[in-house]
Amino acid sequence: MANTETSLKEAAAIEGTIGAALVDYTSGMALGTIGGGNELDLTVAAACNTDVVRAKVRAMELLGLKDEIEDILITLGGQYHLIRLIKARGANGLFLYLALDKSRANLAMARHQLKKIEADLEV
Amino acid sequence: MRRALRMRAERRQLVTAEAEVLGELRRLRARLPQLTGALAASADGLVLAHDTVDGEAETVAALTAAALGVGQRLTDSTGQGRFRELLVRGETGYVATYAAGASAVLTLLAEPRINVGRLHLEARRSSALIGELVDGALERKDLN
Repeated sequence: MANTETSLKEAAAIEGTIGAALVDYTSGMALGTIGGGNELDLTVAAACNTDVVRAKVRAMELLGLKDEIEDILITLGGQYHLIRLIKARGANGLFLYLALDKSRANLAMARHQLKKIEADLEV
Repeated sequence: MRRALRMRAERRQLVTAEAEVLGELRRLRARLPQLTGALAASADGLVLAHDTVDGEAETVAALTAAALGVGQRLTDSTGQGRFRELLVRGETGYVATYAAGASAVLTLLAEPRINVGRLHLEARRSSALIGELVDGALERKDLN
């Protein structure tokens, strides 16, 4: 089991990470952030990606898909953005957000590591 | 008497900014569909512009001024600098107040499901703009 801070440190250690955040998508506020710097404002990313997650949840409702989102991948020219929804006990409505530098990251590896971080996270 | 005249002159100047402030309130509501009302008021509780806080705009503006007073004293006495914003969550929604320049505030009502992160982002930007509009109107008065 890992707390928020440890989990974010592990996320920051993933090869090619620019920044990571743990976000509450009921409010759009970040519970914790790491990295980002001038390149990426993680509080803005947290708020805006909350809308992405909510839109997908709503789309699934309307489509009548009785399933849940495991993760969302957004591919930019130079970056990957990975959103992983937390399914841990007592952690309702949270997601991990990871921004990766496309040229340095290994997507399959990053996704695998993020899954492990998510499974270990206890809020 | 002189003070009353000065305040009335200031009020008249603030009214000149009303159209632009109202435009910004409307744009803000378009960006945040979960807002249920938006209002700009002077720090002493007079409505400058409002977008569907129906009938109760004056009341909300007056209450905002009272909350602002408490907020200012709180930040002052705890050494947190000047007042910036205030967020109140009720059972069926939020009321948020943001400082807008030196003499105005922006008060927003929102549904309980609103994305608070986005609310802050958009409202901080809007309150800065409204602050510039209102302070600009007051400065123009000083030059005249």
